[in-house]
Amino acid sequence: MSIAPPRLELLQGTLDLLILRTLLFGKSHGHAIAKHIQRTSEDLLKVETGSLYPALHRLEARGWIAASWELSEAGKRAKFYRLTPQGRKQLLAEQSKWETFARAMGLVLDPLNQEPL
Amino acid sequence: MNPIFRKLHWMSRRNRKESDLRDELQFHLEQEAAEASDAGLAADQAKWAARRELGNIALLMEDTRAAWGWASLERSCQDLRYALRMLRGNPLFAAAVILSLALGIGANTAVFSLLNAVVMRPLPVPAPQSLVQFTNTLPLWETAANNWNGLFAYPQLENFQTHSKTLAGVFAGTGLGRIAVGLNGTTSLARADAYTGNFFSVLGIAPQYGRFFSAADDAARAPVAVISDAFWRARFGADPAAVGRTVTVNLVPFTVIGITPREFLGTSAGNCPGLWVPLHALDRIAPDARRWTEPWSTWLQIAGRLRPGMSLQRAQAELDGIHRRFLSDALPASQLAGVANVQRFVRDNRLALRGAASGMYSGLRDLYAFPLQLLMWVAGIVMLVSCANVANLLLARASTRRREIAVRLALGAGRGRIVRQLLSESLLLASIGGVLAVPMAWWGSSLLVRMISTGDSPPPLSVDPDWRTFAFTAAVSLLTGILFGLAPALRATRLDPGPVIKEGMRHASPSSHTLDRILVVAQVALSVVLVAGAGLFVRTLQKLRNVDTGYDRRNVLMVSVDARLAGYPSDRAGAVYAEILRRLRTLPEVKSAAASVVRPVDDQFYLVDRVNEIDGLPLPAVDIIRVEWNATSPAYFSTLSTPIVSGRDFQPRDNESAPAVVIVNQSLANRAFPNQDPIGHRLNTATIVGVVKDSYYGGARDQPGPMLYHPLFQHGRDQEYRWGYVSFELRYRSPSNLLDQVRREVAAVDRSLPVFGARTLLAQTEESMLTERLLAMLSSVFGALALLLASVGLYGLMAYTVARRTSEIGIRLALGARPRRILWLVLRETFAFTLAGLALGVPLALWAARYARSMLFGIGAADPVTMAVTVAALIATAALAGYVPARRAVRVDPMVALRYE
Repeated sequence: MSIAPPRLELLQGTLDLLILRTLLFGKSHGHAIAKHIQRTSEDLLKVETGSLYPALHRLEARGWIAASWELSEAGKRAKFYRLTPQGRKQLLAEQSKWETFARAMGLVLDPLNQEPL
Repeated sequence: MNPIFRKLHWMSRRNRKESDLRDELQFHLEQEAAEASDAGLAADQAKWAARRELGNIALLMEDTRAAWGWASLERSCQDLRYALRMLRGNPLFAAAVILSLALGIGANTAVFSLLNAVVMRPLPVPAPQSLVQFTNTLPLWETAANNWNGLFAYPQLENFQTHSKTLAGVFAGTGLGRIAVGLNGTTSLARADAYTGNFFSVLGIAPQYGRFFSAADDAARAPVAVISDAFWRARFGADPAAVGRTVTVNLVPFTVIGITPREFLGTSAGNCPGLWVPLHALDRIAPDARRWTEPWSTWLQIAGRLRPGMSLQRAQAELDGIHRRFLSDALPASQLAGVANVQRFVRDNRLALRGAASGMYSGLRDLYAFPLQLLMWVAGIVMLVSCANVANLLLARASTRRREIAVRLALGAGRGRIVRQLLSESLLLASIGGVLAVPMAWWGSSLLVRMISTGDSPPPLSVDPDWRTFAFTAAVSLLTGILFGLAPALRATRLDPGPVIKEGMRHASPSSHTLDRILVVAQVALSVVLVAGAGLFVRTLQKLRNVDTGYDRRNVLMVSVDARLAGYPSDRAGAVYAEILRRLRTLPEVKSAAASVVRPVDDQFYLVDRVNEIDGLPLPAVDIIRVEWNATSPAYFSTLSTPIVSGRDFQPRDNESAPAVVIVNQSLANRAFPNQDPIGHRLNTATIVGVVKDSYYGGARDQPGPMLYHPLFQHGRDQEYRWGYVSFELRYRSPSNLLDQVRREVAAVDRSLPVFGARTLLAQTEESMLTERLLAMLSSVFGALALLLASVGLYGLMAYTVARRTSEIGIRLALGARPRRILWLVLRETFAFTLAGLALGVPLALWAARYARSMLFGIGAADPVTMAVTVAALIATAALAGYVPARRAVRVDPMVALRYE
């Protein structure tokens, strides 16, 4: 599965959440973020470069992540992003919203498998 | 960081960010390539795989830039940069468009400024919208259907002030007309108003120097006066020490206590008095004890301010009740209680409040509001015609830019983006036009003010641009920008890039020319309306000028003298006037001289009376003749060249001790004595000694009615007539220095007698046609402009058509078509557009003319002459506009044309 088409409103928020969650582990550059999401989702989610960079810049413009130029593992200059305190708050909010949403979807789509409250 | 600052910070690092983004993506590519080669791909293949994986870099970068925010602002800046570049690239085109827009917007703003000053501009007082003026309507009264009147009696004012609970303040006043102001021993003329003590406090304005009079000043003698800013500047040289000085008003002394602020121009548009005195100062200027007690003598204009939150309707209901109770209470005590007309007046009279935010009743506003509205429409239509022209220019240019636009569309630019950019260009053009229009409008509106000013001095109107004017200019510029820009922009982008790029710039598909044809037809149609309108107003003016007024307006000078202003009591004024007349008759340049109370085409007043008795027999009420009257000296009729049909003129012997005599005009003679000789019969108490030809009393628009002439130097005897000022009419041989000689003769009688209203009869007549002249002049200018614009539009379209059909014409010529036939081919198309425009425009013009019917004279709204001339003018213009391209078509060299293909 891949995240497409890139300009869908609904999925845009999802990518933001994935980026913020990835950065929770520490600073990282764009390429590494994409690879990380791909790897941890067991290749189910493939991040399109065409939407990754706009998303990163959007998050940066909102102040949720901050960027700095540092040397990569291979010794090359790369743009590293890290979570800001504001972004951390946003991540929590987004995450709980997503969980509620996922649970609600699950309840509707497959009511029998859910434990009664 | 605050979001806005963060964004500004981002903006400031824009270039840095561009290169950062490129570096970032470069790094991504390298990483990707490294991974691919780790997976076993050859180096160059790995590079290509990475590149493929990244996709469209330009799109990715564009999307990322969008994420930076402020993209729309940035795009606007970019649009503006492109637009400026386009204008610089086509300076001639830009100059033509900007100039025509500036002219159009400027003309519209100028007319609007005047309309604003005369009709809309609110008084410069706090909360002007809560000011109201009292009027009472007289339904069924006289003949006018919606007759209303703004005058009330003094006891009514007191009654309103005591009983009204809906108004926060009620003030009232009256104009004193022309007064003589003495200062430092010199006398000049000015206008003054007398208002109740609360006038300035209810208006809520503050003096720029001194203080205003208050209720306490409006008492028995009331010896204080407030002066206007203009008067202060003119007579005191703007010296603040004017406060405290003494001036005389008709020789009665007043102390100046305050100066009104500069922006305050009185409460009536175009009529700012030089002085205000408290109402009770009337007791010293023109004593008349009855004015304070008589409930039927109406002379006061009343206005007030609504309490906060009070609606006009509720206040009107309350005041109408107070007003009608007052009238019905006052009726029984009156001597007139038994008169049917008076009873009907009391029964039917209603009070109505008019919003006075932009001032109280103004004669100037009454006169010019409608003509100015008409001119606003005319100017607006010219703007539309010029928009159509600019739109056509843009269309023509857009077709040369088809390739550029097609390439941009092919490269993935959105249609909206290109429309936006084209619109930016038109809005930029319109804005530059709008900015240039401001000074033009300023000049134009002061020119207009001079055009509507009657002789002496321009009316005190403030045409300085205010926020309304600027809002208007901005709105017109924006609207025109969208109007002329949108259609070409939409059409330019509605194309399939592929074929356009392939075919190059040679052909435009024929269907794409519907729009410019529609625009040209619309231009012709709108021009028809304007040209027809101009024709109607010019013909009206012509008809007015050719009216037989019953006198000869050439070589007559008129001057007025008011003996009261020099302090003469009315019993001595007659002798002063007789002496002046005697001296004027001795002047060598004067052929004959006369004096009268009302001058021909008077702009100040007219007099009416009733004939109740013929030969001693009282007339039944229905037969009472309403007459206009004048009092004239001997030789009045010969001076004005009004023929005496029978009987004699007044003689010096018709003096105060002689039996009363009158002269009637033919209308009155025919009315009172049909088929009889009226000489020797009596009207009221006077014997008819002569009959004169009908002449026009007021302006040329009034039909002459029954008219009665009394001998000037006899008239004061029996009636309650007090000498006012008189006008002297002089028929001269040569006008050089005449006025100076007249002034010398008047000064020889008494140095303190002011001479005013000096004007030739011809000039006075022209002034009485001021609105007609204004309409005729401006509508002609606008009509000519529209015609010019339409012909440019037609020419442009035809020139383009010929250029497009060069090869076809070449083939026709090669195959032996005669040049006349080619000429006709082009002209036929021009005429087809013109006829379509006429077919639309003529009914439109007829419909619009009905709206202006009240301004016409001597012709109908559907005047056939005007329409015929209009149609002829349009066809001639079309022939001219089509001929030049047609000639070019004939001169096409078939060989060149065919090789061009």
